[in-house]
Amino acid sequence: MGKRSFYLETKDPIIKFAMLEKVLDLARANSLWPLQFGLACCAIEMMSTAMARFDMDRFGAGIFRSTPRQADLMIVSGTVTKKMAPLLVTLYEQMPSPKWVLAMGNCAISGGPFVYEGQYNVVEGVDLLVPVDVYVPGCPPRPEGLLEGLMKLEEKITGTRRFPTPEKRW
Amino acid sequence: MLEKIRAELPELSISEVSYPERGYHLAMDAGREQILKVVGFFDKNGFYLEDLFCVDYVEYLELVYFFNNHCGLFRVKTVVRLEPDKPTAPTISDIYAIAHWYEREIHEFFGVYFENHPNLAYLFLHDGLDSYPLRKGTVKVPEEDRKLLGSGAYKESEDTFFVNLGPQHPSTHGVLRVVIKMDGEYILSAEPMLGYLHRMHEKMAENRNYAQFLPNPGRMDYLSALNFNLAYVETVEKISGIIVPERAQYIRTITCELNRISSHLLWLGAFLADLGGLTPFLYAFDDRENILDILEGVTGSRLTYSYFRFGGLFNDVDEKFADGTRAFLERMWKRLDIYDQLITKNVIFINRTKGVGILERDMVRKFGCSGPVIRGSGVPFDMRKLEPYAAYQHTDFEIPVAQNGDILDRYMIRVKEIETSLRIIGSALEKLPAGPFNAEKVPKKLKPPKGDVYHTVESPRGQLGVYLVSDGSETPHRMRWRVPSYSNLMTFPFLAQGVLIADAVAILGSLDLVIPEIDR
Repeated sequence: MGKRSFYLETKDPIIKFAMLEKVLDLARANSLWPLQFGLACCAIEMMSTAMARFDMDRFGAGIFRSTPRQADLMIVSGTVTKKMAPLLVTLYEQMPSPKWVLAMGNCAISGGPFVYEGQYNVVEGVDLLVPVDVYVPGCPPRPEGLLEGLMKLEEKITGTRRFPTPEKRW
Repeated sequence: MLEKIRAELPELSISEVSYPERGYHLAMDAGREQILKVVGFFDKNGFYLEDLFCVDYVEYLELVYFFNNHCGLFRVKTVVRLEPDKPTAPTISDIYAIAHWYEREIHEFFGVYFENHPNLAYLFLHDGLDSYPLRKGTVKVPEEDRKLLGSGAYKESEDTFFVNLGPQHPSTHGVLRVVIKMDGEYILSAEPMLGYLHRMHEKMAENRNYAQFLPNPGRMDYLSALNFNLAYVETVEKISGIIVPERAQYIRTITCELNRISSHLLWLGAFLADLGGLTPFLYAFDDRENILDILEGVTGSRLTYSYFRFGGLFNDVDEKFADGTRAFLERMWKRLDIYDQLITKNVIFINRTKGVGILERDMVRKFGCSGPVIRGSGVPFDMRKLEPYAAYQHTDFEIPVAQNGDILDRYMIRVKEIETSLRIIGSALEKLPAGPFNAEKVPKKLKPPKGDVYHTVESPRGQLGVYLVSDGSETPHRMRWRVPSYSNLMTFPFLAQGVLIADAVAILGSLDLVIPEIDR
C-alpha cells in the first residue's frame, strides 16, 4: 500500500485531567453512537447486528444516528469507490471529536475482491482516506465479528477489555 | 409474428435462432439508417425494450437491442454495427424512455455518441478517468467529453431550491443520490445520480475465467445472491451445453425461493421503516434470521452465497436442511397473519400508500419495468412462468397480479409472493428426487464454444438477464447484466413529479432498490 495521507488529525488537548478523562472514556466506550451509513453488502450484516438476535444495544452501540454531527463511530461497511471517497471524508470531518472509524469487511480494509491490475473505480482501503481504529475482516464479516470489533474498540478507548478473550479453539 | 416482421421490414436480414441453445428467437441485422424504423415497428406492436448495450469486437462496435413481449415470449436481437473511431448512432430515447439511461451508459463506457440525445451527461463514472473502461484497447476520452464527467452541477432559479437525497441517507437503501428540485413543499423534478457503488463487475468478467467470476454475482445483489448466482451459472451451462441433474435443479429452486423470501422480508422491514414504523423491521429480521440459519447450513455463508457450481451444487443438502425448511414453512404461515394484522390492516399505512405513486400499464412497458413493480400494474409477467428455469415447470404456483399500480399494490404483491414462494418450496420439497447433485465431467477450466447466449431468471426485484459472448477462450469476451432495479428506478423521476417529499420516500421504498445491482 502506498503513502498514507490523512486529511485531519485529532490533536491532544492542552490541559488534561487524568481522572476525568478516564471516567469520560468509560462513558464514551459504553455509548458509542454509530453513524447510519451503509455502503454495500456489509451494511446488511450491520443491520442484522443491530436487530433482535445479535442486539448491539447490549453494548450501548445500537443508536444509529442519521446525521454525522451526532455520531462518534463511523462503521465503513462496504466498498468505497472513487466517486464516494470525497463524500466519505466530508462525513468524517463533520463528526465531532473524539471519533473512531471501524473498517468493516475486506473492501473497506483493502478493496477486497475488487482489486486487480488496471482497476479504475475502487479505493484500495478506507485507511487511505481516514484514520482507521479497528479492522474487521470478512466478506462480509459475521455479526459476531462486528461485535468483537466493537469490543476491540472499547478496549482501545478504555484500556481494559469488557469480557475476557474467548478461548481459542482452532 | 415472424411473417409480420418479414412483411413490414423486408430490407433486413433476419435469421431464426435455436431458442434452447441461444435464449432468443430471432437475430436481425439493421443498419444505422434503419434502426429507427425497426424500433418504431416493435413499439407499435407492443414490444418492450429488454436491453440495450454495446459489445466491442475490436474491428467494429456492435449495438445490441433486445426486444421482448410481455404476453408471449418472443425475444428478438437486433444489432447495429458501428465504426470503432467516433461511433455515432441515432437515439431511441424518445420512443422508449428507458433507452435514455442505457444510451448514457453506453456513451460513457464505450464512447458511442447518440445523435439528438437530450442529455449525454455521465451517469456512473468519477472525474479523472481518461479512457473508456469497457473498450478493448485504450481509447482516450476526448477533451470535450471530459467536461461531461462529474456533471451533476445544477442551477437554482428564483423560486426553487434543491435537496440532495443521499448518498448518505437512511431511506435510499445504499448510496443512491437523488437531486430533487423543490418548489416549496412539492417536488418539481427529481434526478437520480448513480455510480457511487460502481464496482466494475462487467469489466472484471473480462479479466478472469469463468470459475473465478463465481463470487461476483452474489455481491452484485447481496439480498438475493442465490438468484444472481443461478443466473450466471445457468448462462454458462447453456453456452457450454452442460446438463444439470434433476436433484440439483430442485435444490436450486428451493434455495432460491428461500432467498427470495428473505429478500422480500428485508424489503418489508426497510420500506415500513421509511414510512415511519420501526416495529415491522424487528419482526422481519427475526424471520429472516431463521432463513439465514437454514441457508448457512448448506451454503456456509450468511449473505453473499456462491453455492451453485457449473453443472450442479457445491454440496448436497441433508435431512437437517429439509426438516429445518419444513419447520420454517410452518412458522412462516403463522407469521404472515401477524404481518397482516400489523401492517395490511393498519389505517395509517393504507392512507400513506393508497393512490400514491401510480404506474400506468403503458408506462411500465416504455420503462421496461419488471418484477413486483410490473405485476402491481396488472401485467402478469414473471420469468418463472414465462421462461421456466431450474425446476419451476414442475412446481405448481400462480402469479399474483394487482390492478391499480400504486404503492399499496406493490406491497400486496410482495406479501403474496412470499406466500407463493412458500408454496413452491413446499411442493418442491415433496418432490425432491434422489440422485447425484453434480454433473459428471465438468472441466475445471471451462472453454465454451464461440457464440453468444442470453438467459433470464426472475430475481426478487424483477427480470434479470445475462448476455454472454464467448470467444472460445477461458475468459468471456463480454458479459452484460440486465438488472431489474435499473429500469425500475428509471420510473422514479416521473412518479416523483408533483408529490411531497415524504411521498417520494415512500415511492422510492416501494420500488425495492438495491444500489450495487444498479451500479454494477
